[in-house]
Amino acid sequence: MRLSHLLAAGAAVLALTLGSGAADAQALDRILKDKKIRITAQVDSAPFGILGKDNKPTGSEIETARQLAKDLGVELELIQVSGAQRIPALLSDRADLAISSLSITSERAKSVWFSSPHGALSIVIGGPKSVNIKSAADLAGKKIGMSRATLEEQEVPKIAPPGTNIVFFDEHAATQQALLTGQVDAIGSAAFLINDLSKKAPDKQLEVKFTVVTAYYGIAVKPGNFDLLQWVNSWVFVNKHNGVLAKIYETHTGVKLVDLPAM
Amino acid sequence: MTYVFQFGIVFDRFHELLQGAWLTVQLSAISMALGLSLAIVCAFLRTTGPRPVRWIVAAYVEMMRNTPFLVQIYVIFFSLPAIGLRFEANQAAVVAMVVNLGAYATEIIRAGIQSVPIGQIEAGRALGLTRIQVYRKIVLFPAVKAVFPALASQFILLLLGSSVVSAISAKELTAIANTMQSTTFRAFEVYIVVTVMYLAIAVAFRGFFAAVYWLVFVRGRA
Repeated sequence: MRLSHLLAAGAAVLALTLGSGAADAQALDRILKDKKIRITAQVDSAPFGILGKDNKPTGSEIETARQLAKDLGVELELIQVSGAQRIPALLSDRADLAISSLSITSERAKSVWFSSPHGALSIVIGGPKSVNIKSAADLAGKKIGMSRATLEEQEVPKIAPPGTNIVFFDEHAATQQALLTGQVDAIGSAAFLINDLSKKAPDKQLEVKFTVVTAYYGIAVKPGNFDLLQWVNSWVFVNKHNGVLAKIYETHTGVKLVDLPAM
Repeated sequence: MTYVFQFGIVFDRFHELLQGAWLTVQLSAISMALGLSLAIVCAFLRTTGPRPVRWIVAAYVEMMRNTPFLVQIYVIFFSLPAIGLRFEANQAAVVAMVVNLGAYATEIIRAGIQSVPIGQIEAGRALGLTRIQVYRKIVLFPAVKAVFPALASQFILLLLGSSVVSAISAKELTAIANTMQSTTFRAFEVYIVVTVMYLAIAVAFRGFFAAVYWLVFVRGRA
């Protein structure tokens, strides 16, 4: 094939991609007509999305998706994604909604539209009762462990006073083990993980020292899908006030859902 | 799609990588010295010690050579505190590297010892030298000379293997790179720079070993 043919074929593919990528102003109508909604499912982020005993996806975000589809009166199709694919799946029209513990950030808001928050994740400092930490200032001189590539890795150094010894591990299991074996004084971690850990090792008397930051999760749609976003926002409003969202969250994470602000 | 390289982010924080590289060099150098000493003692016990001692050394060597380095590090850092033996991350790293290198080097030196002609050892014994004197004055020198290239390779492997100790929060070169990568998302740039740094360190160590070989085995005993 000659080069000009290749270029022409490339241009055609590009035009098709761009064309199908245009916003679908009648997304809600289409979903209602097809009687099917496609929602992302990230199954490697317990307790928000995991594979249950029978290999069926479950977790707080996936149960939220099930509830939403039920209330909309359509069939649910779960689109399995990795963490990095949550937004691309929306943008490439593989999914109508992303409900995968996607925290609302101004960076992400450049590429997707968020609903009002329907969930939250608090990053806390947790440690044994015997370690005296009440606020960020008490971190000075302490050895604080945390896992790389997490929200705590970004947020804890910002509030840590000079003299805090922050050490990093590659995964949560190692960070938690370091806390249990006393290799670190405390760890920065998601609140529910501290809760989990204190149940597994009650003799260590672990507790949450203070909250560093709370990230709020939203449901994301592809930019342009006004009608769908409008319905999702109403749905979040209703289920925030009737307690359904809080109940799903607490069942799966074991911690209370914080007050969700409106957006 | 074209990827735009941004090495500026890496070089702005280059001093952090240098600190990490320096710790890598320190951890490796200490472990090489202690590991070699351990291996010389173990190789002696393995070849000339009483039978039960030989078995103990053999058991140690086989245990270290047949379990993953990462697991050994975890045992030292996470399991030993349970019996009251607590090491800081850097100490745990050195202990792990020493016992690991010790096992491999024991086998290398043992091979060297077995290459020394038996007549040479018998001659020493006939002259009235003790076992330890024979080992020190007659066996060790030609044995180490014979296996020096293999030892040097093992040392370099240890240096490169030291990247694994980032798993227990030792802040060596790989640990710094991992952290930098996860905060800047510039994985490609960070790891390219770190690769070049490891290469430079390894080449420097090889140069050092070549100099030692020349000074001790070539010029010393021409």
